[in-house]
Amino acid sequence: MRVTFEVNGRPVTADDVWAGESLLYVLRERLGLPGSKNACEQGECGSCTVYLDGVTVCACMVAAGQAHGRRVRTVEGLSSPGGGQRLDAVQEAFLEAGAVQCGFCTPGLLVQADDLVGRTARRGLGVPGDAEIREHLAGNLCRCTGYEAIVEAVRLAAERADAAVRGGAR
Amino acid sequence: MATRMFGMPVQRTEDERLITGKGGYLDDLGAGAYAAAFVRSPHAHARVRDIDVTGALDVEGLVAVYTHEDLSGPMAEPLPLLIPHPAILDGRTPYALAKEYVHYVGEPVVMVVARDRYVAEDAVGRIAVDYETLDPVVGIEAAARAERVVHAGMSDNVAAHLVQEVGDARAAIAAAPNRIELDLDIERSACTPMEGRGVYARWDGRDAMLRLYSSTQTASGVRAAVAAKLGLQLGQVEVVVPDVGGGFGVKIVHPWPEELMVPWAARALGHEVKWAEDRREHFTAAAHERAQRQHVTVGFDDEGRLLGLDVDILHDNGAYLPYGIIVPIVTSTQLLGPYKPGAYRVEFRSLYTTTAIVTPYRGAGRPQGVFAMERTMDAIAAHLGMDRADVRAANFIQPEEMPYDQGLLFQDGRPLIYDSGDYPASLEKIKKLVGWDDFTAYRDAARAEGRKVGIGLACYVEGTGPGPYEGGHVQVETSGKVRVATGLTTQGQGHQTALAQIVADELGVPMSDISVTTGDTRRMPYSVGTFASRGAVMSGSAVALAARRLKEKALRIAADALEADAEDLEIVDGRVQVRGTPSAGIELGTVAVLSNPLRYAFDEASKAATQFTGAADYTRPPVAADDEPGLEGTDFYSPLRSTFASGMHAVVVETDPETAEIRILRYCVVHDCGKLVNPLIVEGQVHGGVAQGVAGALYERMEYDSGGQLLNASFMDFLMPYASEVPKVEIDHLETPSPLNPLGIKGAGEAGVIPGAAVIAAAVEDAEGFAITRMPVSPSELFHLRRRFDKGGIAPLPGAYSRTGEANA
Amino acid sequence: MEFLSPATWEEALAAKSERPDAVPIMGGTDVMVEINFDRRRPPALIDLTRVPGLREWRADGDGVRLGAGVPYTGIVDALGGAAPALAAAARSVASPQIRNRGSVGGNLGGASPAGDAHPPLLATDAVVELASVGGVRRVPAREFYLGPRRTARRDDELIAAVLLPAPAGPQRFAKVGTRNAMVIAVVSFALALDARSRTVGTGIGSAGPTPLRAPGAEEFAAAEFDWEGGAPLPESAVHRFGELVAAAARPIDDVRGSAGYRRHALAVLARRALARAAADYREGGARCA
Repeated sequence: MRVTFEVNGRPVTADDVWAGESLLYVLRERLGLPGSKNACEQGECGSCTVYLDGVTVCACMVAAGQAHGRRVRTVEGLSSPGGGQRLDAVQEAFLEAGAVQCGFCTPGLLVQADDLVGRTARRGLGVPGDAEIREHLAGNLCRCTGYEAIVEAVRLAAERADAAVRGGAR
Repeated sequence: MATRMFGMPVQRTEDERLITGKGGYLDDLGAGAYAAAFVRSPHAHARVRDIDVTGALDVEGLVAVYTHEDLSGPMAEPLPLLIPHPAILDGRTPYALAKEYVHYVGEPVVMVVARDRYVAEDAVGRIAVDYETLDPVVGIEAAARAERVVHAGMSDNVAAHLVQEVGDARAAIAAAPNRIELDLDIERSACTPMEGRGVYARWDGRDAMLRLYSSTQTASGVRAAVAAKLGLQLGQVEVVVPDVGGGFGVKIVHPWPEELMVPWAARALGHEVKWAEDRREHFTAAAHERAQRQHVTVGFDDEGRLLGLDVDILHDNGAYLPYGIIVPIVTSTQLLGPYKPGAYRVEFRSLYTTTAIVTPYRGAGRPQGVFAMERTMDAIAAHLGMDRADVRAANFIQPEEMPYDQGLLFQDGRPLIYDSGDYPASLEKIKKLVGWDDFTAYRDAARAEGRKVGIGLACYVEGTGPGPYEGGHVQVETSGKVRVATGLTTQGQGHQTALAQIVADELGVPMSDISVTTGDTRRMPYSVGTFASRGAVMSGSAVALAARRLKEKALRIAADALEADAEDLEIVDGRVQVRGTPSAGIELGTVAVLSNPLRYAFDEASKAATQFTGAADYTRPPVAADDEPGLEGTDFYSPLRSTFASGMHAVVVETDPETAEIRILRYCVVHDCGKLVNPLIVEGQVHGGVAQGVAGALYERMEYDSGGQLLNASFMDFLMPYASEVPKVEIDHLETPSPLNPLGIKGAGEAGVIPGAAVIAAAVEDAEGFAITRMPVSPSELFHLRRRFDKGGIAPLPGAYSRTGEANA
Repeated sequence: MEFLSPATWEEALAAKSERPDAVPIMGGTDVMVEINFDRRRPPALIDLTRVPGLREWRADGDGVRLGAGVPYTGIVDALGGAAPALAAAARSVASPQIRNRGSVGGNLGGASPAGDAHPPLLATDAVVELASVGGVRRVPAREFYLGPRRTARRDDELIAAVLLPAPAGPQRFAKVGTRNAMVIAVVSFALALDARSRTVGTGIGSAGPTPLRAPGAEEFAAAEFDWEGGAPLPESAVHRFGELVAAAARPIDDVRGSAGYRRHALAVLARRALARAAADYREGGARCA
């Protein structure tokens, strides 16, 4: 089957897609977007987290056909899809806080972290607390960091987004 | 002035590509490669009667199917036993593909190569293997009883047996005024990196060259092993380690069967072949660790001082022994921690079982050893009614006793001599950090509210940075950019950043001008690998020494050019200049130009090095007899012995009186790894280690049934913690420099995990009032322990032990 | 394998009728795992994500008609008042990413005894709406679970919606697991007090071959409870309630916990739920009565 959808603002098409194929496989093997990682194939690790129509999902649990006609955003499209900025604010915060070690879980965590900042601070709803951050990241496994620096990075990104929103409001 | 980089919390240079999805991990490479998949044994123990591949042959896209019968020469022989040891009685290793027998569920039997992974898996599903099932041997007790034997030709399951003794421990214990025995038990866990194993091979038939990419912790080890097995010269094999998604020990094992079969098939087919492990394969067919049973007998005086310690260990090494007996050796030696044991005897038997192999997992035997020693310390405190911290303090090796010889042979085959450390100071720090002396009041208040809280403490000493050696190569390009290479690999530790920091300081160049390559045999063929917390110590020292060599040469050439004395020169921000007269100077890139006498110019800068441009000394050849062209330095660091880091953890837990759920309220760490190269990286290592320690204490275990099936081979059932489980970690550092290496550093990679099981057991024990001797402990298990305790099946802890902070009260 | 993409509910029902062996897929949280792991190769998938209405909920009489495909995130956001126990269960489902995809319909379709939605559906006497080309039928959740992964749904039927009665008293949901996140419960429990009918509903998860009720405990609590004033129950009654709930469970030993622990934890959850529900009842007495 043929599947056409939008990835990171650009239309893409994959042909000869098998009905049982996952969105993750299509992204990695057919569309040359290996940023999303495959680490469990059962939605437990979150390494393949992407936005599907603005909502974060595990790409390994989305049948490719379900993505047809929809919008997908991956780690490769996090930093200002329109170009311009080198790094997105959440990426910048991961860099500063030392939130990356081996980096394999990082793409999924970045997308999920971006989602939290987008639902809270960027909407003027304030900086999420430690428990809320941990809860929101509780579908993403990381074996290296013990999560501490990741939580710190998310808080940092949210604080900056919060400051930007408040600054803009003034 | 240039800022000193060593010791600074510098942001990692690796990260930019990793946070933009541009990391290149094994499975991100080789888009055009054939995919490999393996038919694996569904039985823990069986004889392969017949393999029928006909069902797979008409699968469209199938390329090849291989069994052991297709292999010949060294490939048909068992895999190497990587670390031979005289105590190994019968060292069995697997074949690249099973020959006649399989000894664990997941053992590779048939290799399938196909157009893509889906096709390969389809073909795997159509291959019929006829097995004659044999009796499984699961668990330490079954292995020790030896009613059933894992390997044909053996009369029992003992792979190795080693006794080490300092003094006459049994006599000392018999003569001691106090004596305790403990039976302890730790279950299996595993490294479980987010990225599994993977191999990708390219065979160039015209040049007869093999390029192998592997998600490994040792490029040079894989290279040597693959060359030997494939009958190639070392010079025909290049091993390149791409970005690696975590290792924690499991990827130091080599060559894996798959790591041989993939390049072998690539050569046979004249086509690229790739295999990327899936999660279930990683659970069943990679490696596990930890499982041990320990019997401790200890004699001590009335002040809690050890007089004799006798430890008997049964170690489950799984189906084969490819990595030798490093893990139980580490347990036996590192068990001693920061203490003087009096007379010491340790004996272990390493046992075969029909389960996945057991090889080092972060900590590599130390968590078990620390569990034994720290449970013993707590038991002594309970016996004497002493404060648990005071018992430890009574047994510490004092700073003025360093270097301290424990009288044993360590895992590197060299004497177990601690180089430095200040354990009393660490204890004071951890007591202060956790509020040890104030805890009784807190606990009493909590109890009054019907809550159960407890505190625990555990200490460890960790031999890090063992030899034999690592190398460094530093080169200044004519552009002034600096290229650094070391042979060991990196899998998330930030080596590229830490090594660049070291070179930046040594050479006086900005970090931004330095690029670091790890784990590429094309750049540094001589290497050992990444294990035993040795990256910073070994390669850090090696690149420092290499940079010093380079600097000496740079100053010599610059001195000629500047007509100055080399001793008066310094390098600042990539420029060699006269101390005190910065205007008189020369760029390091220009020195690189001058270091290489040329006949042919290729750009403006290189003209300066050609033969008609300068005043030449006609009495000397352009390159002196003892010199070589180019501005580079290579050196190797080979330490006398390992260097010994140390630390102490304290934890406060709360257990639910009804559901027996265990919650960590505080987790405190005091850590001494000598000089810190980069505190941001070291803290990340501690955080990650603690998370694995907590995981191993409360959540993770490998659950084999009696038939040898792994029941929880997925992330749904093997409970790796998320951000919602791992506690916040409070860290304090102590820096006792190592006298053994030029930078004063000790390893930091494993420390965080080591005392996890011991410290959490201690805290749960304190909360519950009865001994915890078996880890991990789940709510379900704690519930059953409480029941046994309530029925009198477990003795209560005596008196003052559960009243922390009131010594001898 | 075929991939069917019905654009309307009628098309979906027709597809299921023609291909009873086709597997409906919504959030993919069960189906894709089975495909990824080679455990299942159904001849066809019926993608229901494009069927209008499945992801919607609306008032239905006093209660709510919850489309089978409303993701848990939507339930958490919208139904905290209209279906408190189900919303609490939804909040505890796996991870945010799974909550964004998984739905009550998926839980009912898979019928795993560990599914978080089941205990609240049982406790609140929810009704499952099944549809086929032949028509619609409504099956109470309490009659829906027939055996291990076996339900009252026929092969040609799709799960259309769940009808959630309006709460007429406090509802509670709780679970115990080894790990906080992504927990497949060691055991879970839901409780609903119904002041109008003066009945108590229960639901037990992960402690038997199917989701279970504890009818003895329900009757006991209904008889003991002070429906006028919601006075605190005597400790002995709370304890007895816990025992009766635990007795109704049929747990097994597995990787996550022993049968003994499951029974014990269930009794604890049941006691806590009843005590807290009683307190809620007193506090919200005017509103609920």
